[in-house]
Amino acid sequence: MNYPVWDVAFGAGLLIAIVAITHVFVSHFAVGGGLFLVLTEQKARRANDAALLAWLKAHTKFFVLVTVVFGAISGVGIWFTIGLISPTATSNLIHTYVWGWAIEWVFFFIEITAALLYLYGWDKLDACLHQWYGWIYFIAAYLSLVIINGIITFMLTSGAWTKNHQFWSGFFNPTYFPSLAFRTAISLALAGIYALITASVQKDAALKARIVRWSALWTVPALAVLPLLGRWYIHKIPADVWASARGPMPTGTEYAMLAVVLLIVAFVLALLTLVRPARMHLAFSLLVALMAFGAMGSFEFVREAIRKPFVISNYLYANSFYSTQIPGDGGFSVDEVNAAGVLPSAKWVNERDLTATNQVAVGHEIFRVECESCHTVNAYRGLRHYIELRQWDQNKINAMLGGLAFMHNNVMPPFAGTDAERGALAAYLNSIEPVSAEAAAAATDGETVFDQNCSMCHRVNASDSLFKNLATDPAAAADSLKDLTTLFPLMPDLKLTDRQRAALVEWINKQRSAKEFSSTAQGGN
Amino acid sequence: MMQTNLIPSLDPNPLPAPYWLFKLLLIVTFFLHIIAMNFMLGGGVLALVAKWRAKNPASGNRMFFDLARKLPSLLPATITLGIAPLLFVQVLYGQFFYTSSILMAWPWFLVLVMLTVAYYGFYYVSFRAGEKPGKAGGVMLCSVVLVTLIGFFFSNNITLSQTPSRWAAKYFANPSGWNLNLSEPTLFPRYLHFFTAAIAVGGIFVVFMALANWKRDKEYAGQLLQFGGKTFMYATMAQFVVGVIFLVSLPRDLRMLFMGDNPLATTLLLVGITGAMAAIFLMSGALRTGNIRVAAVYVPAILAVVILCMSVMRDILRDAYLRPYFRPEQFAVTTQWAVLPLFLALFVGGVILWLVMMRRYGLLGGKKGNEPPKAQMASTD
Ligand code: HEC
Ligand code: HEC
Repeated sequence: MNYPVWDVAFGAGLLIAIVAITHVFVSHFAVGGGLFLVLTEQKARRANDAALLAWLKAHTKFFVLVTVVFGAISGVGIWFTIGLISPTATSNLIHTYVWGWAIEWVFFFIEITAALLYLYGWDKLDACLHQWYGWIYFIAAYLSLVIINGIITFMLTSGAWTKNHQFWSGFFNPTYFPSLAFRTAISLALAGIYALITASVQKDAALKARIVRWSALWTVPALAVLPLLGRWYIHKIPADVWASARGPMPTGTEYAMLAVVLLIVAFVLALLTLVRPARMHLAFSLLVALMAFGAMGSFEFVREAIRKPFVISNYLYANSFYSTQIPGDGGFSVDEVNAAGVLPSAKWVNERDLTATNQVAVGHEIFRVECESCHTVNAYRGLRHYIELRQWDQNKINAMLGGLAFMHNNVMPPFAGTDAERGALAAYLNSIEPVSAEAAAAATDGETVFDQNCSMCHRVNASDSLFKNLATDPAAAADSLKDLTTLFPLMPDLKLTDRQRAALVEWINKQRSAKEFSSTAQGGN
Repeated sequence: MMQTNLIPSLDPNPLPAPYWLFKLLLIVTFFLHIIAMNFMLGGGVLALVAKWRAKNPASGNRMFFDLARKLPSLLPATITLGIAPLLFVQVLYGQFFYTSSILMAWPWFLVLVMLTVAYYGFYYVSFRAGEKPGKAGGVMLCSVVLVTLIGFFFSNNITLSQTPSRWAAKYFANPSGWNLNLSEPTLFPRYLHFFTAAIAVGGIFVVFMALANWKRDKEYAGQLLQFGGKTFMYATMAQFVVGVIFLVSLPRDLRMLFMGDNPLATTLLLVGITGAMAAIFLMSGALRTGNIRVAAVYVPAILAVVILCMSVMRDILRDAYLRPYFRPEQFAVTTQWAVLPLFLALFVGGVILWLVMMRRYGLLGGKKGNEPPKAQMASTD
């Protein structure tokens, strides 16, 4: 709307995910690894362990090459990428938190300098001064986490900020502390895991065993407390936000499961290193790292998933529409756009008038403005795939567009715009995957009817309003489905055939009577 | 279509401090960033020149390695000092900066990839330089080409952000972010202006290295002084030509700002030109007499003033370009008193700590830390 939308063929969301996940994997190492360096140096010097010191010196080089180079660039990379993909959110965040970032920058500056001096100082400085640089490095690195954590968690749980717009209200938001604790534990675990990598290539078996045992002291307890901290974290997330992680196509839940599984695997593998520490192989250490990377990536995906439809919770949707009208929003709130229309409100659309002949072109522009921040046509969350799967014709698409906000546990912002514009978007979506009216009404099997028409908003679950409230008498139920909007006014006005309604009701009643049907069952796709 | 319609509106949040404070921070941090960048880019180019063009290959190689070893620190200095102006430019000029970045999103994103490769290249050369001198030159060349290209992309983005009239055609022809700003007449002169400055300032960096070697190895230091000093002089002379071309390439009304229309801009330009001439003059004297003090203290001091003038001029030029679309008065300001003092305190504290860190290490004129007892230190290389 306000800014041009960068049309990334494979998915803007995917690009940002890739940059963010690789960055966090390195930046958390940059924090925990700093403490690891100083404490290991202390330990080695106390024990007069020259071999360990020699290893640590090499490990420092590895550390700097990974964190100072890749960590720093990918950190800048996040900036670049969010500016490209969510300029409105970035602009809001910058104007709210520029002093937070400026503070972080001071720490960052100290951190980078200290890291380089620590690296080059191995041959130049006395032990005490060298460790002084190490401590400065770690403290500065940790403090930058302390700052950035406030901004990241703000986006997920904006707390009282949406009311008072106070810096610290948003900063110390409900998930601030659990997230900080969680990320601290991740940092410590990663310090041990990365150490395994450089340890594994050591020739000196006794030394390798010492390092492996020492890194297990970092990895194992940290991984062990992560589930507890994770629970605390989830506990602090408001129920409605968390709910969007569940649902018929529960991307959030799936990633959460994956995170837990990978975490357990990483934990077990970390323990296994202790069985034969002197023989630990490079491949094995990389496997541990890979599992941790996967767990961490999944965790970030969960965070991204549950934040949807928002990019800044209760304030700004992922497609840069403000969720409620506020002074100075430029007319880009959902309500204002509903009233005025997309074409007159948006700055970056080429077609200004909707006519009988430019429906598809206008629809394409609306798609870019409203949907492309999360969807593509063919690739990541490709809409062609969904339309083919659900067999929606243009009318059905149009009806469904009215209910986007209810789908998949409210993961999407509502469609904003006039009815005519919604029709244009439907025409465009129909043009990318043409489905005829006959094909859309062809399904006669109850389950398929449900999948194509109801599953995006309803779960096969006793607690779901559909299963709870639909009349049990088949005739009455089928009759009530003639007009869905009488059941619930905001439901899409879908017109099912008599045969489809009968089949659907029959299938629904079969589910209800099935033994395993309970309020916890997962259903749908 | 009306172009001004495309200019994104501000977001609802007020500026969290007065406009001038951000402006000040923007100019100061940009100034520091550009110096670090010049040391890095100029240093990289001069390392290659020393290696391939030196009359005396042995000392040429030595200069190459000496410079190459500095690059892994100069590049992060450039990046770190670049983050701050990147932050402040978004605070003030986000409407323009985000938009131009999006129009050239892929080149802009590729900056990150190129930066990573260049950075590892610099490390490779500095760690491995002794073992494979032949390969080191090639790797260095790649890295230098990459950072040169990054600079070019920056010039594209900055010029594009200042010319909203070009936006619509570019975006609607290619919304997938494959644009540059090649049709902009000031692009190449502007870029060349920055590149030439980098070579000149890189020459000063070599002069600093001469200073560092002055007591230890007079002959080598003398060679460094000649190489760096001459580079500085010739590049700065060339800059007079390049600068004029740049000035001429500007739209007339903007050019006139520096030629009388805007007293401040005109004064700054005059100070800059005078300073540059004085620096050349002093440097040529210093080279003749071998006066390291003049070359490594007075000339850089003058040069710093010149660069500061140029940084302010650059800012005046930007505001002039954006005049039809941007007014400082557009911002609502609500100073965040709950955070700003904390930042200022940490900033001052950070600078002090940084200086202490550098000096305790023996840099910036500090005394070197004690040599470690050899028995305690294990060597791995
Ligand atoms: C905040 C990000 C976001 C935005 C913006 C967004 N969507 Fe979605 N959409 C999603 C997610 C997440 C899913 C669920 C994907 C899954 O779980 O596989 C989804 C699913 C869908 C589905 C599939 C429903 C089904 O299960 O059959 C359709 C159709 C859809 N979106 C259309 C749109 C349209 C049209 C727009 C623009 C008006 C839009 N979306 C905007 C995130 C978004
Ligand atoms: C776009 C989303 C959407 C789709 C598609 C959808 N519904 Fe609904 N439906 C809702 C919402 C929202 C409610 C109200 C939810 C609530 O109260 O928990 C609802 C409520 C209901 C209810 C309960 C009404 C009551 O009395 O409380 C029934 C029955 C129902 N839907 C049936 C269906 C059937 C059958 C289909 C498929 C043919 C369907 N819905 C498709 C969104 C949808």
